[in-house]
Amino acid sequence: MSYRSRAMTRLAWRNIRRHVRRSLLTSLAMILGGTLLMISLPLGDGTHEAWIESAVRMGAGHLSIEHPDFHASRKIEDRLSGELRASVEAALHTPELRGRVRLSTPQVNIGGLASSPSGARPVQILGVDPVGEAAFTILDEKVTAGRYLSDEDRLAAYVGVGLSERLGLELGSRLVVTSQDGSGEIAGQLLRVVGIFRSGVPEIDESLVHIPMATASEWLGIGEDVTRISVLVDTSADVDATVRALTATLSGPSLDGSLTVMGWREAMPALDAAVRVDDFGNYLFQAILFSIIALGIVNTVLMSVLHRYREFGVLQALGLTPRQTGGLVLVEGLILTAASGVVGIALGLLITWTFWRDGLDISAVFSEEFSFSGVVMDPVIVPSFRLARVIQGLVFILVIGTLASLYPAYRATRIDVAEAMKFER
Amino acid sequence: MMEPSEKEAPAVHTRDVWKIFEQEAGEVPAVRGVSVSIARGEFTALAGPSGSGKTTLLNMIGGLTRATRGQIFVSGRELTGMSAVELARLRLQEVGFVFQAYNLLPVLSAMENAEFPLLLQGVEESERRARISELFARTGLTGLEDRLPGKLSGGQQQRVAVVRAVAARPALVLADEPTANLDTAASESLLDMMEELNRELSTTFVFATHDRRVMDRSRRLVRLVDGEIESDDVRTP
Ligand SMILES: Nc1ncnc2c1ncn2[C@@H]1O[C@H](COP(=O)(O)OP(=O)(O)O)[C@@H](O)[C@H]1O
Ligand SMILES: [Mg+2]
Repeated sequence: MSYRSRAMTRLAWRNIRRHVRRSLLTSLAMILGGTLLMISLPLGDGTHEAWIESAVRMGAGHLSIEHPDFHASRKIEDRLSGELRASVEAALHTPELRGRVRLSTPQVNIGGLASSPSGARPVQILGVDPVGEAAFTILDEKVTAGRYLSDEDRLAAYVGVGLSERLGLELGSRLVVTSQDGSGEIAGQLLRVVGIFRSGVPEIDESLVHIPMATASEWLGIGEDVTRISVLVDTSADVDATVRALTATLSGPSLDGSLTVMGWREAMPALDAAVRVDDFGNYLFQAILFSIIALGIVNTVLMSVLHRYREFGVLQALGLTPRQTGGLVLVEGLILTAASGVVGIALGLLITWTFWRDGLDISAVFSEEFSFSGVVMDPVIVPSFRLARVIQGLVFILVIGTLASLYPAYRATRIDVAEAMKFER
Repeated sequence: MMEPSEKEAPAVHTRDVWKIFEQEAGEVPAVRGVSVSIARGEFTALAGPSGSGKTTLLNMIGGLTRATRGQIFVSGRELTGMSAVELARLRLQEVGFVFQAYNLLPVLSAMENAEFPLLLQGVEESERRARISELFARTGLTGLEDRLPGKLSGGQQQRVAVVRAVAARPALVLADEPTANLDTAASESLLDMMEELNRELSTTFVFATHDRRVMDRSRRLVRLVDGEIESDDVRTP
């Protein structure tokens, strides 16, 4: 640092320390802002993480590997052959990906019709590996009657409570599911209800049926083929990197065009939109909050500039340029906001960690079960701490501090030195 | 016309300098056609009643106020037409200011105040400390280095201000009513100090003053009345 910048920094520091009350006033607002930021961001991220986790574990995972046309067509002919399935499963076990992937499971996902003596309903049928799926899904924990599928099951069905009511199904009841099979023919399959679940999401409870993979394979005549392999990663923040890594591993002349890796954002655009809208609401709130804080900073820093008119006059008489004088104001504003921003962020993290690291229970506000976009709202919010958010918060605070100091700094460049030095002042 | 080169140039040279303040009530001519030359090493007082334009003239010479008309040269360099940055550099290199209200930076100690222009000039720490200690010793400030201005008497503050003004070895020190806030004893000793600095470092001093004591000690007395030079006498004290 040059002597000049050292002199200026020293002067800035001394001024901040000398005007403790004014400095404190400025910093308190910023500390409060930083604190709120580091409460709302982790809780918001945690909420979204819970939404995503619940949605992906009732469906196709954080990401899934499918035939490129399957997402749009939903047809059994757009499936992955047994060979493709094997190479995908091999890819998921390479050292490169093993570290990223939490769980993966094969699924056969088709639309069809379920009928019972009481009527017929359109349904989504999911052929699953009972053991693998039990670890993957959260639906096995949502059981209200009977049990989840097991390895020995044949011709078994695990159905949503809504569907069971509409079709008058109970444990042990029979139902017939009908769909297009692997060769394009319509095929029916008799099943027996072994378990009923309530996910809390009406769309799922009224339409989803889990059946054993073996049954699906035999019924549809598709052998080892599946419609997708669904993958869970540790947090939604890892999805993009994993999609890239997996795409890279799977790309090769023999595989190109025969499969695609799809992240949850693509697979569930409604949930993606919900997360973005909620984030936007958060950002908007923060923008308003920090605008108020910025106004407070502008005010105190400007007061300090007007109050120190003579001092700035002296500095210019000593040989500082108007710009350097403004720079001093900017440095003061920055030191103050940076310091208080760091304190605020630390405080916010500390509070969130201390009080809510295991979850913040908001069931008092949400007495009723609440769902949207295929997600059940969990009344307990577990905050999610991310380094990126801390850095983002710091940068944000610095930007706000700079912006708020700009106008007062500009005013300091504009002072009339001769006027400032008049003795009568 | 060719201007004399910097070395032999007078510390200050003005040619028909005017300052007219535009006011709502009309124009206020504060300085009206002043032409004056002050050689290096002079100890000159600008005297005159209050409102005669002393401060305005001093501020124009120091580049704090721009002249409405006319030319001003400091060490042979013309101020008219200089940018704000060039004027700042000129003040940093060539001009030291002393004000009636001392105007030390309240958050810096006596030593830090005095060395501030040297810091701005990029002078090394050892050199800075040596120069300021020497000047403090010369001016009876030794021992007060770490005091904040608020803990110094008026006379002491003004001494620090003078040290600050001369430390960077400017061609010129402009002092606007430096003794107006001081009692007789403090005034006399401040004048002693400035005389000594003038004699030993040949720093040029220009005072704006209506203090008899200052006028009596000056070696040249320029009288201003209503913004014009009324008389200009070299004195033998
Ligand atoms: N910024 C200004 N605007 C208008 N008039 C001014 C301004 N500064 C000084 N004056 C006027 O110029 C005249 C000279 O003032 P000044 O130079 O301060 O005189 P002195 O220092 O001799 O007392 C006075 O009439 C004063 O009112
Ligand atoms: Mg005056």
